Amino acid sequence: MEKLITELQQTKVLHQTRRHFLQSCGFSLGALGLGSLLDSCSPTTSNPSGLSADAMSVKTPQFVPKAKRVIYIHMAGAPSQLELFDYKPELLKYHGKDCPAEFLEGKKFAFIQGVPKMLGPQGKFNQYGQSGAWISDYLPHLQTVADDITFIKSMHTDQFNHAPAQLLMHTGGARLGRPSLGSWAVYGLGSENQNLPGFIVLTSGGKQPDAGKSIWGSGFLPSVYQGVQCRTGTDPVLYVSDPKGISRDLRKQTIETINEINRQSYEDIQDPEILTRISQYEMAFRMQMSVPEVMDITKEPSFILDMYGVKPGEGSFAMNCLLARKLIENDVRFVQLFDWGWDGHGSNARDNIEGGLHEKCRQTDQPVAALLRDLKMRGLLEETLVVWGGEFGRTPMQENRNGLVMPYMGRDHHVEAFTMWMAGGGIKKGVVHGETDELGYYGVKDRVHVHDLQATILHLLGFDHEKFTYPFQGRNFRLTDVEGKLVKEIIA
Amino acid sequence: MHHPLLEVTGWPIFIGRFHPVIVHLPIGFLLILALLEIMQRFSKIRVSQDMLRYILLWSAISSTLACVAGYLLASGGGYQEMLLSNHQWQGIAVAAFSWIAWIVGADQFRKKIQSGRVFYFATLGIAVALTLAAGHQGGSLTHGEGYLTQHTPEPFRSITGMQPSPEQADNGHRITDIQQAVVYTDIVKPILERRCTQCHNASKQKGDLRMDQIAMLVKGGESGPALITGNSAQSKMILRCMLPENDDKHMPPKGKPQLTQDEILLLSWWIDKGAPAEKRVADLKISGQIEPALATIVSNANSAAPERAMKPSLFSKEIPKANVKDIEALRAAGLIVNNLSNDQHFLEVSAVNSPGFDDGECTLLTPLSEQVTWLKLAGTNITDTALSHIAALKNLSKLHLEHTAITDRGLAQLKNLTHLEYLNLTHTKITDTGLKTIASMKSLKSIYVWQSAVTDSAVAQLTRQYPKLSIVNGVNVSGLAQSIKKTDQLEATAKKH
Repeated sequence: MEKLITELQQTKVLHQTRRHFLQSCGFSLGALGLGSLLDSCSPTTSNPSGLSADAMSVKTPQFVPKAKRVIYIHMAGAPSQLELFDYKPELLKYHGKDCPAEFLEGKKFAFIQGVPKMLGPQGKFNQYGQSGAWISDYLPHLQTVADDITFIKSMHTDQFNHAPAQLLMHTGGARLGRPSLGSWAVYGLGSENQNLPGFIVLTSGGKQPDAGKSIWGSGFLPSVYQGVQCRTGTDPVLYVSDPKGISRDLRKQTIETINEINRQSYEDIQDPEILTRISQYEMAFRMQMSVPEVMDITKEPSFILDMYGVKPGEGSFAMNCLLARKLIENDVRFVQLFDWGWDGHGSNARDNIEGGLHEKCRQTDQPVAALLRDLKMRGLLEETLVVWGGEFGRTPMQENRNGLVMPYMGRDHHVEAFTMWMAGGGIKKGVVHGETDELGYYGVKDRVHVHDLQATILHLLGFDHEKFTYPFQGRNFRLTDVEGKLVKEIIA
Repeated sequence: MHHPLLEVTGWPIFIGRFHPVIVHLPIGFLLILALLEIMQRFSKIRVSQDMLRYILLWSAISSTLACVAGYLLASGGGYQEMLLSNHQWQGIAVAAFSWIAWIVGADQFRKKIQSGRVFYFATLGIAVALTLAAGHQGGSLTHGEGYLTQHTPEPFRSITGMQPSPEQADNGHRITDIQQAVVYTDIVKPILERRCTQCHNASKQKGDLRMDQIAMLVKGGESGPALITGNSAQSKMILRCMLPENDDKHMPPKGKPQLTQDEILLLSWWIDKGAPAEKRVADLKISGQIEPALATIVSNANSAAPERAMKPSLFSKEIPKANVKDIEALRAAGLIVNNLSNDQHFLEVSAVNSPGFDDGECTLLTPLSEQVTWLKLAGTNITDTALSHIAALKNLSKLHLEHTAITDRGLAQLKNLTHLEYLNLTHTKITDTGLKTIASMKSLKSIYVWQSAVTDSAVAQLTRQYPKLSIVNGVNVSGLAQSIKKTDQLEATAKKH
């Protein structure tokens, strides 16, 4: 008991901040003409979004949205666009020759040193669908849905290392601290299904992405908007089932009591993070029912499992794709899939083109194509935006780490040009946007920066990226910072 | 125009914004005064002298106030200098002449000067004429020059010697054979007219630059020549377009319609070829990227206003705001009710959180018959009865009925919905008969019938009959097994290579 009282006292002291000093001295300081300063310090305005317990309630966008939901598939490590989509027959002619000096002068690479050799495309390319999209034989299943996809071949970014590039791709800034795309989406639109989180993250490939959980974090937005990571396999959310000997009623009473205490301390301290905690307890309780149900794939017919290539009981990218469809079907706003293991440098037996890339494509090609097909036949693709891509591209040169010849075929990180694709909600079908030069080094037509892509995704969700802001540390922040231009050409 | 003192507080611009309000007072006062004076001349009516003097006094006072507010508004900047200066002096003159008229109209004054009455009418006449002129200039300042007469119909256009209307002018640029097109007049000039000459022409020369003639481009403006013959990389008219859009020097200014990549390419190509005035496309060498750019320009020039056609007609409609009580009633039943967007009153309603929603509760939708545009009742307990209520939602464009007990009979009731574009009928008992009754609806764009009783042959037949309608039936078990087998084989052969 004594311990508890000490803790209470400590907590109270902890909340006696500079803010309270200024607040209680408000009158005399105000006389000094600092009233306006105090105004910005009072706890009522530190909660600018008017956040309340129903922070996740459905909200209205700025204009009629073309997409209601998003599935963002991120291939962490960055797949090679030159092996999959960006067909460069000219590069084959330069295969094994020294890289032209113009590609190297003043450039920085993650690993390439000196003068590397060019590396010709390793996939066999052909055109598919009525749109005639170039897709290599690495992705035989995707070939069958080519007409639903719009490719952006002229993506470019600012960052050549995984973690900053992933941060830039998902939070609009290369450093930590900003909200992710999914957080912005649920902050702006809320969540429709009250029994499921609005922003769910599923990972596969054995490791987390290099930038860690920050790429689905909520940054300076209230933390209720962060992505909720679910595990794949038998138990999607840890501790979601009732512990032994504790009935559901007892669990309910416990949570209600905890929330009552939290509500009292919110009255005291007015910290919006307490509201987040309350709503998370409530959500967790509801999830005990809904999550096992939605994550249960045993009720799926076997031909659907076959379509995705899912083996029950095995956590995999294929399973995540199937779960993504089920979550979207239950009106989850934003589903983020990360698949690790695409970093094909050629430095070892796994990270290379001839073996590693083939293996990653084998694991992911069928489920991705199945996801598009499944969403389409359920009438969900029209309302759901599907985005696919890595954090940057790969060089047209073969990597020569430390100036040496590498044991396997591989390419270094490349910021100037890479391919991403989108499909579904509000996106044109069977369009190729942008173009790279003959060797696939630079984008030469309709270049699309990461911020442009983000602006376009927000537009499809019903927001003008320049007017969709959150006040933090004295200024209004945007996902696209001060950049970003809508890619109108790909919007249906 | 910039007074440091004025900029410290928000007062000047606050008062300034009232200029458009105040300015209508002297216009009204002076016109009614002129009207009364004229009518009195012709002895049609009788008005007391005091009343006329009172109106004139207020004309003078209100025009003076309008001048002050106008000056404060202009100090905020952003107006075309020439036009502004004209408008300002005309406005001041209105105030001045109103005061003069008021003074010379006074009894003491009229007694001293013999032709006082004539003097009074002259000043009043000038004040009225100036009011009209200043009013027109003010309109041009806010709406842009030519706003008033932009849509003058024929035959008045030809009679007054105006240029043909823009739509007709566009038709003039229809290109039939690209090889025979004159590069400057058929390709370059229309681009400049679309993007540049509104601000850089003979009458309005922003930055002292005119872009309506080749010679004027070469002559350039404040920051030197806009065009250097044969060298697009040094030509400012190209460089300015390539700057980031946020750069102050970027052209066209932020917010104005921008040049497309193709347009910049074509302008650069024309400059690099020496900016000829009369050469045809066939006379110039066409390099790799120019060909597709030319093709796009031709197809754009020949298709009439594609952007306007894109706008969905439904959302351009104005509808009244929904009654809050009706919305709350639906919410109380557990439904999500949300505006589609912040700028209008269309509603989206979803029963995702209330699977128990049933036919009885459907009556709650009836008061919102105009507002409900997207409706999701997937997985609820509704039956055919509910569809008679849904059929009354006249602006419905998206309807989710998947996983419900509806049948063909209920579905037929939806036939009269004129805006319905999306219809989801997956996992229902709908058959070919039901599909046939609604496939003829003109507004429909996509119907989803996977896992219903609809057959593939009916889908194929209706798809042929209504090529614009997309009917999606998805995969069935056997079809899927085949396609997986095929791709597995492909993969196997790919591995062998």
